[in-house]
Amino acid sequence: MLKAKNRLGLVFFPAYDWAISPTHPEREERLLYTQDQLREEGIFDIEGIVELKPDIATDIDVMRSHFCFPDVKSVTTESHMISAGGAIRAARAVLDGEVDKAFALVRPPGHHSMKSVHGNRGFCNINNESIMIEYIRENYGKRRIAIVDTDCHHGDGTQDIYWHDPDVLFISIHQDGRTLYPGSGHLRELGGPNARGKTVNIPLPPNTSEEGFIYTIDNMVLPILDHFKPEIIINSAGQDNHYTDPITNMNFTAHGYALLNEKLNPHIAVLEGGYSIQGALPYVNLGIVLAMAGLDYSHVKEPDYDQNYSPQEDDITEYIIKLKEPVLNNYFNPKPDIEKAPEGQYTIRHKNIYYDTDGIQESQKEQILTCKDCRGVLLIESTASINPPCVGIEIPVDGCKRCQDEGYRLYEKAVKSNEYISVQLTDRVKKEYKRVKAPGY
Amino acid sequence: MLLGIDVGGTHTDAVLIGDRGIESTFKAKTDTQNLLHTVTTALKEVTSGIDVKKITNINLSTTLSTNAIIENKLEKTALFISSGPGIDPENFKIGSNTYIIDGSINHRGSEVLKLDSSSLDKSIKNCSKEKIKVFAAVTKFSTRNSIQESAIAESLKGHADFITEGHNLSSQLSFPRRAATAYYNSAVWRIYSNFLASIMKALKGMGIDAPVNILKADGGTMPAEVSKNLPVESILSGPAASIMGIIALSKITEDSVILDIGGTTTDIAVFASGAPLMERDGISLGGIPTLVRSLQNRSIGIGGDSVITVVNGEVRTGPERRGANAAEGGEYPALVDALNVAGIILHQNKDKSVEAIKNLAEKNGMAPSAIADAAIAYSVKKITDETNKLLSEINQKPVYTIHEMIYGKKIVPKKIYIIGGPAAALAKVMKGDTDIIVPENYSVANAIGAALARTTFETELFSDTGKEKMVIPNLGIEEKVSRRYSLSEAEHDVIAYTRKYLENSGYNDKNLNIDIVESSSFRMIDDYYASGNDIRVKCQIRPGVIMNFHK
Repeated sequence: MLKAKNRLGLVFFPAYDWAISPTHPEREERLLYTQDQLREEGIFDIEGIVELKPDIATDIDVMRSHFCFPDVKSVTTESHMISAGGAIRAARAVLDGEVDKAFALVRPPGHHSMKSVHGNRGFCNINNESIMIEYIRENYGKRRIAIVDTDCHHGDGTQDIYWHDPDVLFISIHQDGRTLYPGSGHLRELGGPNARGKTVNIPLPPNTSEEGFIYTIDNMVLPILDHFKPEIIINSAGQDNHYTDPITNMNFTAHGYALLNEKLNPHIAVLEGGYSIQGALPYVNLGIVLAMAGLDYSHVKEPDYDQNYSPQEDDITEYIIKLKEPVLNNYFNPKPDIEKAPEGQYTIRHKNIYYDTDGIQESQKEQILTCKDCRGVLLIESTASINPPCVGIEIPVDGCKRCQDEGYRLYEKAVKSNEYISVQLTDRVKKEYKRVKAPGY
Repeated sequence: MLLGIDVGGTHTDAVLIGDRGIESTFKAKTDTQNLLHTVTTALKEVTSGIDVKKITNINLSTTLSTNAIIENKLEKTALFISSGPGIDPENFKIGSNTYIIDGSINHRGSEVLKLDSSSLDKSIKNCSKEKIKVFAAVTKFSTRNSIQESAIAESLKGHADFITEGHNLSSQLSFPRRAATAYYNSAVWRIYSNFLASIMKALKGMGIDAPVNILKADGGTMPAEVSKNLPVESILSGPAASIMGIIALSKITEDSVILDIGGTTTDIAVFASGAPLMERDGISLGGIPTLVRSLQNRSIGIGGDSVITVVNGEVRTGPERRGANAAEGGEYPALVDALNVAGIILHQNKDKSVEAIKNLAEKNGMAPSAIADAAIAYSVKKITDETNKLLSEINQKPVYTIHEMIYGKKIVPKKIYIIGGPAAALAKVMKGDTDIIVPENYSVANAIGAALARTTFETELFSDTGKEKMVIPNLGIEEKVSRRYSLSEAEHDVIAYTRKYLENSGYNDKNLNIDIVESSSFRMIDDYYASGNDIRVKCQIRPGVIMNFHK
């Protein structure tokens, strides 16, 4: 009988009754064949592997990470709350010591969901990983966390949520934004004024293969993780770098994903994208499950591997080797933000965000206070094509007394002004989450 | 009249039931070395003075296959497995004659790699040399496409007395369970068939020609003729017999807990809205998971004969049994002795109980009454804790749809039913918020359950309409269907084929309800274009009893 070396919790929630639309890649049977493969392999009978039922996330769980406009209910459905709850269940299992590691195979995904949410972009409404991380921080007192996003698309939502957070290291490995949605994740994006270098983007060229991914992990990701010394490592385990994926252009494999996971050695993995639901997902998920459980995955191989997988071309190898230096520099010697405001003042950023799935256009003014005692209070004023102006104010986890007072001052001022249809206050110090809405919203 | 015999590990019970209820019962120790003798004795005793021509049906629950597997009295069996990508098939070897043959079927049932026929031939030659006559053939995803299992079986013809093909056992996925189940099915086939033949001969000798059915762990029966090809389905039917007995004896309509307290163990089962719950995947035997369907049942080492020990000042009961309890002449004090001492029951020789508990008390500097009370309390706590654990597992069972997540029902037991030897005694001490019920005739509930159990059956249909294919693996059906084949056609077909199969296979139980229990159709998309539907329909004949004793 097989026995897992690492006790592994699997939160498997395929949401067989939910789809974005009937022919959308994010549809009912996305995890059906994965479940078939895992069942046929007898994964759930392996000693040390347990299947866990998801929690259902609460509005407060969501408000810890997001400013939802006009409120949480209007931007989420039950499916999103269960998917995020699945990630929370995975985290609970690990932090309560039920298991050594956990993998949340949940859908819908979340890594394109940004701090401010008006609807669905990139198949995502709310960010499963950040909701999970903030749950961990609030309930288990952990602070230093690293996220390694191995989805083929840039994890722009997660990047946005942790842009100003020096305690969360966000590393995204993805197909170069010049060639794929969402178009971001360039080397120059390296974190906000108070968290420079804590966002690390590794844009890889199309057709990167096993060799290139493993080189990236060994020579860029692992040295940075070694230095950052996170208490917890999370893998945003998107599976669309696979050579059979219909909406991307990479050349990665199930065996490669398993090896990558083994090298990263994450405490928790959360499924993100991956839409080759017959040719890739069953094998990639199996590989990741075996790798996380510390079991042999050398026999995990796609049926068409010998016909359709080709090793990496030399020019791609050269390109990736050249990426190493700027990537490491971005983390170890980040260039300071020249726009950073002096102490006691706000650094301002204007953003326009397009929600491709829901066709919403959002316009944001984001302000972060430069504070010598904490990472500063955050203020986002947001208008969207479907919502009049809204505002969110956040007092960060490590918020100092002055920033706490400032947060409440901004909140009261915003409420009194009657300029906004929804005002959200997230006070991470006192763990208070407030919202005032205009009548009719 | 209906005859039920339950051959258990320690006791064998038989009961004869007529229109007016129980006509006669018989109870004796099981002779594990000679089960045939045990069965024929029970047959003779329970029918003594009765016109055997009036017997219309015989149901038999036997531990023969279970014992053969647990005691490893298995025939030398060769297991042929082929497996595609995934976990190394080396992990699924059973016994010393497993042959791994290259070949691969994917999760859609497409043949990806042909079976390596030269390695198959070589392996078969090796088996001939080893004088192996029984075989099991199991390939990955054979429930989606059985072509490679059938090819192995075809090659083995002429060498084999018996071959089990994995897909004939169950439609369920799980390659390791299928391999283990097929292996055991073949490994017990000869001993089981011989046993069954002897019983048939004995019945004929007694002038009984009623149909014989064999009890299964899922609380139902299969005809003796069918069981010859599926002997593994007869394992662990004992607890199911007791559960079916309770159903006949008590009208259970709510969420309930069933405790069957025996000599060595207590079996715990849970009913949801009056119906027994099934094990999700299949029962495990000696720690090995199988595809044998079973009622959900949890066994713990607390029973009437569980020995009382004192460890570091703490009084414990079980999990071992060291012979009979002191009241019955055993050497060590057991739970029954504690109940005797506490005055809850008066069982056999109470003085012996008092003496045994007193000895234990003196050794540990405690009062005998304190030991007795603590041993009883310990037993009750163990049973309660294990019951709560089982309930929590059931309520935390993963689900796969949003609907079930939001509207899924939570089981909250309203009643506890207790059967078995020490049932009445323990009912007195198991106080709590939940009603406790001890049904009448509880001591032969198992034989009653055996006598009254009806046919159960389960099968599943798969269709990939893009491939214009429909299969019902365990019925051996593979048909071409149109690209427009619908879910309702599939539901109709799976029931029709099941009825036809039952009629042709000697099932004598009529008017059975076949229920659709799972039904889904997923639209498959290749590159944004519909490529057909993935249809899956599961039907069941749920366990039931032919008559009830309750009002």
